[in-house]
Amino acid sequence: MTIEIQSLTLSYGENIILSKCNLHLSEGEILVVLGPSGCGKTTLLRAIAGFVKPDSGTIHLNGKILNELQPEQRNIGMLFQRPVLFPHKDVLGNILFAYRKKKERKMQEVDEIMKDMGIYEMKSQTIETLSGGEAQRVVLARALLTNPELLLLDEPLSSLDLDVRRQLAMEIRTTLKSKSIAAIHVTHDHEEAEIIGDRIIHWNELNLLESE
Amino acid sequence: MVLRSVRSIPILVYLGLILIPIWLAVERLMDVTGSSPFSAILSLSDHPLGSEALYFSFIQAILSAILTIAIGLPIAWWLGRHQWKHLNIIRAALTLPFVTPTIVAAMGFLALFKTGGPIDSIGIDLRFESGFIGWLSSTTGIENSGHIIALLLAHAWFNLALVIRFVEPRIATIPPRFEESIRLLPIGRTRLNRARYFWWPMLRTSIGSAFMFTFIFSFTSFALVRWLAPDMWTLEALMAVEGGAAGIPNYRTEASLLVLGGATLQGIILLFALGLAGYWEQKKAVSNDIVSETFARKTAGEPSRVARIGVSLSLIFALAPLISMLLSSVRIRDRTNESYRWSTEAWDIALTGDLTYVSALEALSNSIVYAIACMFVSVLLGYAVASSIHAFESKGKKKTAMAIDLLSMLPLALSGVMVGLGVLLGVLKVWPELFQWYGLPVIPHAMLTTPFVIRILLPTLRSLDSSYDETAAMLGYSNFQRFTKVRIPLMKSSLVVAATLSIAFSLGEFGASWILLRSGSWDTLPILVDQLMARPKYFELVEPVAMATASLLMMVTFVLFVITERFREHQGGGF
Repeated sequence: MTIEIQSLTLSYGENIILSKCNLHLSEGEILVVLGPSGCGKTTLLRAIAGFVKPDSGTIHLNGKILNELQPEQRNIGMLFQRPVLFPHKDVLGNILFAYRKKKERKMQEVDEIMKDMGIYEMKSQTIETLSGGEAQRVVLARALLTNPELLLLDEPLSSLDLDVRRQLAMEIRTTLKSKSIAAIHVTHDHEEAEIIGDRIIHWNELNLLESE
Repeated sequence: MVLRSVRSIPILVYLGLILIPIWLAVERLMDVTGSSPFSAILSLSDHPLGSEALYFSFIQAILSAILTIAIGLPIAWWLGRHQWKHLNIIRAALTLPFVTPTIVAAMGFLALFKTGGPIDSIGIDLRFESGFIGWLSSTTGIENSGHIIALLLAHAWFNLALVIRFVEPRIATIPPRFEESIRLLPIGRTRLNRARYFWWPMLRTSIGSAFMFTFIFSFTSFALVRWLAPDMWTLEALMAVEGGAAGIPNYRTEASLLVLGGATLQGIILLFALGLAGYWEQKKAVSNDIVSETFARKTAGEPSRVARIGVSLSLIFALAPLISMLLSSVRIRDRTNESYRWSTEAWDIALTGDLTYVSALEALSNSIVYAIACMFVSVLLGYAVASSIHAFESKGKKKTAMAIDLLSMLPLALSGVMVGLGVLLGVLKVWPELFQWYGLPVIPHAMLTTPFVIRILLPTLRSLDSSYDETAAMLGYSNFQRFTKVRIPLMKSSLVVAATLSIAFSLGEFGASWILLRSGSWDTLPILVDQLMARPKYFELVEPVAMATASLLMMVTFVLFVITERFREHQGGGF
C-alpha cells in the first residue's frame, strides 16, 4: 500500500471542493485523475501535499497518517503546472536544492539523473535560458533526488507544445517506473493520461469508483 | 490562533516603539499645560512666534513645491520622451540630492551663495541681500527675500528627484499610440490642447504625488531653514528650539503649549498630505496600460537641442552645491586681504578634531555605529511587520492587513524634530537614566526609518510567488530553512536597498539627533557640522573645517547611494 485517502472533505466557505473523496494507490502505481479545469484537481493534490487542510477525512502514506504533518515532513514530491526554478540559482544549483545540507550531496547520483533526464550539458546555464520542457526536466530531476514516497504531478505538461508534451510524458512514465515511485498525475488531456497512467479515473467518478 | 498571536508580536513591538514615546510626551505636555492637544492648537497664536512660524511653514512649503514642479517637470519630460545615452547615470545624478543629508545640502548652498562664492560672483547676493536682491526686497517689501529664495531653491534642489522618480517613468511608459491617436483628432491638433486634454489627465496623479511629498518634506525641513533662512521660523524649527524648555512644570508654559499644539497641527497636516499623496498613488497604479520604457523612448527618438541643454543645466544644478561645498573645504579665504589660498589644512583639522570635542573620524564612527544599529532594528522589525501584513493578506484577512498597513504608515507623518521631542519629553522624562545611554539616538532613527523599510519590503513580499516556498517545502525544507535559503536570496535586492537607505537616512538624520545629543562625545557627523558652523568665524578655517566635515558625510552617503542604485530596479517610479 502506498497511499490511502478516506472520506476526504474540503470546502472553501460554502463551496465544497472535495466531498468524502476516497482513493487508493498501490506501490509504484501511476494514477491519473482526469477532469476539466477548475474542478478541484489541484486542491486534491494540495491537500495531499499539506498546503491546504481538509475539513475531515484521513490521508495515509505507507502506513503513517499525514493529516497533522507539515508539507516538509511528508516526504512527497510535487511538480507544479509552471516549473518552479529558483531564479537565484543556475541549473545545477536548482538540482542541488534537493539536498538541504552540503554534506548530504551525492554528486554521482546527481550526474546520473541529469544524464538520464538529458540536462547534464545545461548544468551551468541560468534558468532563463531553459525552454519549458527543459525546465520541467530539471524540476523532475530535483524531485526524484529527494527519493519521495509519492510524486504529485499537477498538470506539469500543460504549458508545453504537443510534441514536447508527448515525449516528456513518456519520459516521466519510464523514469517513475524504473524507480518504482508511485504518482498521482492530474490533467485534462486524455492523450497525456493514456501515455502516463497505469490507471485513469475521472474527477466526477472519483468517489464512486474508489468506494466501490 | 497561536500563529496569529506570533504574527501580532512584531506589530505590537513596532506600534509600541512608535506610539509609547509619543503618547508619554503628549501626556506630559497635557499635564504641564492643562490643555488638550486640540485646544493647544488654538493657543499657537499666544506664542510670540507661533502664528508667524505656521504661516511661513505653509507659504514656503507651497512655494517650494511649486518651484520643484516647475523645475522638475521639464526635466522629467525630456528624460521620459527621449533616448538618452547613460540614462542611468543621469537619473542617479539627479536623484543624489534627495539622499544627501539635509545638513550637507545646507552647507552646499551656503558654499554656493557665500560672499565670493559662485552665485555672489555673478552679482546675486542672497546672503547679505545687496544689489539686485536688495532692490527686490525693498520693491516687494518682503524681508529676507534673499534667504527665502535660497531656501526655496534648496528645497527644489532636494526634492527634484521626487518629480523625476514619480513623473518620468509615467511619461516613458504611456503607449505612443495614445498620443498619435489624439493628434489625428480635432481636439489634439495644437500642443496646448494635447497638454490640456491628454498629458495633464495622464500625468496629474504623478505630479500631484510629487507635489504633496515635496510639500511634506519642505514643511518639516529643519537644517535647511536653520542655515539658509536663519531669521525665519517654521513650526519644525521653532519646536526644535523651544523643545528644550517644554515639559517642565511651572516653567515657560507657552513653550510646552507650542510643542503640543504645533506637533498636533503638524501631524494632522502631514497625515492629510500623506493621505492625499497615497490616494493619488493608488489611482496612478490602477489607471491604463503601459508599454516598456525602451519602446516609448524609441518612438520619440534622440533628444532635441533644447532637451540636451535643459538636462545639462539640471545636472549642473544637481551637482553645483556639492562641488561648491567640496571646493570650499580646500579654498581658504584670507580674512585680511580678501584673497584665497588652496590648502588641505581644514581637512587635517577636521580629522584631528582640533576645533571640536570629537574629530570628524570619531563622529563618523559614532554615526556608523548608530546607522548600523538602526539598520538592524529597522530591517528586522520592518521585515517582521511587512511579513505579518502579508501573512494576513494571504490568509484572506484583508481588512486586518489593511488596518495594520495604514497604522504602519503613521510614523511617516512624524518629522525628525517631532520624534526627537517624543523621545526627549516622553521616554527620557519617565526614564531619565536613558540619557546616559550611548545608543539613545538609535530609538528615533529606527522610529523614522522602519516605515520606509516596510514600504520597500511589503511590495516585494507581495510579488514573491508562493510556489517557491511550496516547492522548497516539498523538498523537505523547514520554515527556517525556507526563510534563509529561498526568501532571503529572492528578496536580496529589496533588503539591500532597505538596509542601505536605512543606514543613509540614519547617517544624515539631523532633527532628532540635534534635540537628543547632549553629550559631545556621542556627536554624529551632521551634529558636528552644525556645531562647527555655529562657532564664531574669527578663525578663517572654521567654515572650511565644517565644509570638510560635511564633505566627508557626503562621500559616505555617496558610497551608500551607489550601492542602492546598483540594486534598485528602475521600474514604475516612486521611491
